[in-house]
Amino acid sequence: LAGPLSPPGQDPHGWRVPVDCVRANELCAAEPSCSSRYRTLRQCLAGRDRNTMLANKECQAALEVLQESPLYDCRCKRGMKKELQCLQIYWSIHLGLTEGEEFYEASPYEPVTSRLSDIFRLASIFSGMDPAANSKSNHCLDAAKACNLNDNCKRLRSGYISTCSREVSPTEHCTRRKCHKALRQFFDRVPSEYTYRLLFCSCKDQACAERRRQTIVPSCSYEDKEKPNCLDLRNTCRTDHLCRSRLADFHTNCQTSFQSLTSCPGDNYQACLGSYAGLIGFDMTPNYVDASTTSITISPWCSCKGSGNMEEECEKFLRDFTENPCLRNAIQAFGNGTDVNLSP
Amino acid sequence: ATFGLYFPRKEYSENVYIDQPAGTPLLRIHTLRDSHGEVAHFHLCQNLIISRARSHENHWFQIREKTGLLYLSKSLDREDFNMLSVGNWMPLSKVMLYVFLSSHPFQEKECDSATRTTVFLSLINATAPACSSLTARQLCFTEMDLSFHIKENKPPGTFHQLQLPSVHHLCQNLSISYKLLAAEGMPFRYNENTTGVSVTQRLDREERERYELIAKCTVREGFREMQVEVPFLVNVLDEDDSPPFLPNGTDTADAVVEFNRKEGTVLAVLTVYDADTTPIYPLESSRKKYTGTIITDDPWISETFRVEHIFDEIHFSPNGSQVRGTQHEYKLVLNKSISVTEHRSFQLDVLVNDTEFHGPERSVMLHFNVSILPVSIQFPNMTYQFTVNRNAERFAQIGKICIENCMKFRGVNITYKLLSPNVSCYPVSVLQGREDKWGSLYVNDSSVLRRPECKEIQYTIQATDKQSRKHTKTLLTVVLEGTLLKKEEDCPDSCAVSKHHAECEECGGLGVLTGRCQWRQGSGKGITTNYSTCTPSIKTCPDGTCDVIESKDPAVCPQDCTSGNIIGGHGKGIGNLGIKSGHGICYCFPRQNCYCEKDDIKEQLCDDVCKTVI
Repeated sequence: LAGPLSPPGQDPHGWRVPVDCVRANELCAAEPSCSSRYRTLRQCLAGRDRNTMLANKECQAALEVLQESPLYDCRCKRGMKKELQCLQIYWSIHLGLTEGEEFYEASPYEPVTSRLSDIFRLASIFSGMDPAANSKSNHCLDAAKACNLNDNCKRLRSGYISTCSREVSPTEHCTRRKCHKALRQFFDRVPSEYTYRLLFCSCKDQACAERRRQTIVPSCSYEDKEKPNCLDLRNTCRTDHLCRSRLADFHTNCQTSFQSLTSCPGDNYQACLGSYAGLIGFDMTPNYVDASTTSITISPWCSCKGSGNMEEECEKFLRDFTENPCLRNAIQAFGNGTDVNLSP
Repeated sequence: ATFGLYFPRKEYSENVYIDQPAGTPLLRIHTLRDSHGEVAHFHLCQNLIISRARSHENHWFQIREKTGLLYLSKSLDREDFNMLSVGNWMPLSKVMLYVFLSSHPFQEKECDSATRTTVFLSLINATAPACSSLTARQLCFTEMDLSFHIKENKPPGTFHQLQLPSVHHLCQNLSISYKLLAAEGMPFRYNENTTGVSVTQRLDREERERYELIAKCTVREGFREMQVEVPFLVNVLDEDDSPPFLPNGTDTADAVVEFNRKEGTVLAVLTVYDADTTPIYPLESSRKKYTGTIITDDPWISETFRVEHIFDEIHFSPNGSQVRGTQHEYKLVLNKSISVTEHRSFQLDVLVNDTEFHGPERSVMLHFNVSILPVSIQFPNMTYQFTVNRNAERFAQIGKICIENCMKFRGVNITYKLLSPNVSCYPVSVLQGREDKWGSLYVNDSSVLRRPECKEIQYTIQATDKQSRKHTKTLLTVVLEGTLLKKEEDCPDSCAVSKHHAECEECGGLGVLTGRCQWRQGSGKGITTNYSTCTPSIKTCPDGTCDVIESKDPAVCPQDCTSGNIIGGHGKGIGNLGIKSGHGICYCFPRQNCYCEKDDIKEQLCDDVCKTVI
C-alpha cells in the first residue's frame, strides 16, 4: 500500500494504488486547481442527483478534472485514525455520483488481503491448541477464556457487557446507544483472532450455541420492542456515513458469487467475516436468530412485513443475511479451522 | 398517474467476452402496457456506468428501438476491456447500462425518462467459450433468478423470452427447447415458436399475489439429452383498487373518561380494513394516503382530542392462497389532561378517507360516544387512625393516606397536606408518593414521641387537586403507645451496618418503627433477591424501590437506594440504585460501600474449656 506521503503510484498490474481520502483531501487542498474544483463539485452535488448535475457545464468540467485527482479513487481503512472524516470525504463525492438509491453500493474500504489462515496461525501460537482438535470442548467457552487471558480483550469485553446490561429504568432496559458504542470499540480495537473466536465459534450443543448468540448481549444491542421493515432499517442505516459504509462493505465482501467455489467474492472468507463483524454496533447489527446447532441463521432485527409493492426487494435484502451461502460457508470454515487453499 | 409502460424486471444481466463479433445479440428486454394501443420504444443512455462512479461513453452496445434487443454494435478488444476494468475493484468487472422506455419515438437521446431498467454486463476476460464447454445450466438460463412483477388490472402481454439470444447465436447446432411447468389453470402461456412467456388476462392481486411456476429446459446434442429446471416466479403488484370497509360493520365505540384523565390516554379504538397493501416504508406518505380527521367545529373538542392512526399488515385468504391486506386502527386519544370538574357527553365523528381510491366509497365515518364523567375529590367516610410506637425513629413509615379511588387516578395530581394542630406535639409529616397519588406519613421529629404529655394527637389532613384547586379534608388521629426502651450505646445510626442477626436486633436506627432493627433471613442460595440483611422495616426495605422517604437520608435504606460500590457477588437494581440481589449477607456503610458476602463464622457451641468440664 502507498506510504503516508507518497502520491498515488502504480502497482504491477497497472492499477492505481488508492490513497486514503483524508490524505487525498490534503493533496487536493495543496493544489489550487484541484481544491477549487472540489469545492465546485461539492456545491454541484448538494441535494441534486447525478443527471441534473451533469447537465451543468461547470459541474461536468469539475468532475472531469477530479477524475484525474487522487480524491476520485480514494478509500478508507477500517478502524483508521479519523475514519469518520475519511468516510465523510468519500461520500461527499460518491453520494451524488451513484445513481440514487442502489441496491448494492461499493465499499469505501480498502480490499482485505489477509486470510483466515493468518488468524489460525496466530491463534494456535497463543492458545497452544488446534481449534479443531478437541471434539468434546465447548469452543465458545474456550474463546471467552482466551479473551479473559488477554488484558486488552478482557477490558473491552467486560466494558461492553457491563454497559449493555445496565438497567436504566423499569421501562428502559438499557442505553442502546452506549451499548453499541462499546461493542464497536471492542470489535475495532481487539485483534480478530479473539473477536472471531467469540463470534463464530462452532457448536455441537445448545448451551454453546446460546452462549454464541449471547456474545453481543442481544437483549440490548439487537432486540427491540418492534421489528421495523428491513427497507426502512436500511434507509435509517444509509443516513449515517459509518453504518452506510459498513453495510456497503458487507455487501461487497459477502455477496454470493456464482463464480467461485466458496460462493464468496474472490474466495476470501476473512473479508466477509470482517465486514460482518463491522456491522455490529450499528442500526443494522446482525445476530444469530436462535440457539440452533444444526443450522446457522443470521438476520438483522427486521422483517419484510408491510413492504407493499417492495416485497421482492425487501426479501432480496433480507436473504443476503438469512440465506447467504458465502456468509454461512465463511462462518463454518472458521469454526472448523479450515481456509480455502489458494493456489499461488 | 405516470404513463403506463413498465418493465417486468428491475435488472437484466449478461456476460460479454473479448472479441465477440459486432452484431452478436446479448439479451432481450420486454415491457408490459398500462392500456391498449401503447407502443414501446427503447433506447440506451449514452454512458456506461463503471462501478465506483466512473463512467465512459458507450461505443459498443445498441438496442433495437422496437424490439428491445440489446446487441454488440462493435467488438470489444483487449484494450477496451482494460480501459473498462480500471477502477473496477470487483474480482469480476461489471459495467452498467440504463435502458429507457417511452411510448413515442425518442426525440433527443437523453437519459431523463423516469422509466428505466438496469442491465449489468459482466466483462469476462476471455474469448467466448465453446458451446461444448458450457453446462446445461449455462446454456439454458442466466444466473439471475427468473422473477418478474406484473401490475394488476393491466392488459395482457409477453413479458419474457426464455431463450438466451447470446447462446442461441453462438450454439446454432444445439437444440435447446423450453417448457413451462405447473402452468395449468394459471393465466400464463408459453409460446413454443418464440419461447416467449405471456400473461393471458388481467390479474387481480386481491385474488392471488404470487405465481410459482417452473421453467424446464432440454438440451439435445445428438443422442445426449440434458434437462434443467429452475423456479419461475411472478409477483403481482398492487394498486389502490379496494375501498375501506368495517369489520362486522362496527363503526361505533364508547369512550369513557373517568379516573384516567391523563394526556396521551387511549380512550377507544375502531378498526378499518382494506384489501390493498399499505407499505410502512416510507411511513409518512402512507400516513397521508389514509387519513382520519375529527369532524367538529367545537374548538374545545379539537383541542382536547386527537386521532392516532396506526396500520399493520394482515392476511386473508380469498380462495386458498394467502393475500396481504391492511388493518388500520384509529385511536381516540386525549390531547391534554382533563380537569376533574369536566362533565359532558357527545358524539365525536371521525372521517376516514382512502385518498388514492377512485370510487364513491372511498371514505367511512367512525363514531365515538364520548362521556366525560366528573370525579369527586373526597376521603372515604372514615377518619384515619394510626398508632405509633414511642421508640420509633425519624423516617419511620407509619402509613399511607389516599382519597377515594386514588390508585386508579392518572393525570390527576393530588397534594396532601397536614394542617398543623395547635398543640406542641407534632411528630409526623406527610410526603407525596410517586405520581402524586397518595401521601406517605412518616415520623419527622422523634423527640416528640418521647414526651409523656403527647399521647393522642389530632390532625386535619387536606387533599387538594392541583388543577381545579378542589380540596377535601378529614381527621387523622395519631396515638402514641409503648414504653420507652433504654437506648443502646455505640449503635450506628443505620440498621444496614449490622452484619449479624444478634447485633441487628439489639440496635435501633433511622426509620425503625419499634426502636429495634429487623433481621431478614435470606434463603442463602447463591446470588438471590432474597439475601440476608438488617433493615428498619422488612415491609418497606429492601423492596426494590427507593421510595420518597428512603431517599430523604441515605442511612435509612441503602439496600434500596445506594449508588455507591457494592463489593461481592451482587446484581444492581433499576437505574443502578440499590442491591437487587446479593450473595449471603449484604450490609452497607451509608455514603460509602456496600458488601455482600457469605457469613463463614459459625458460633461455637462449646469451646475447649467447656469440653474439659464435660
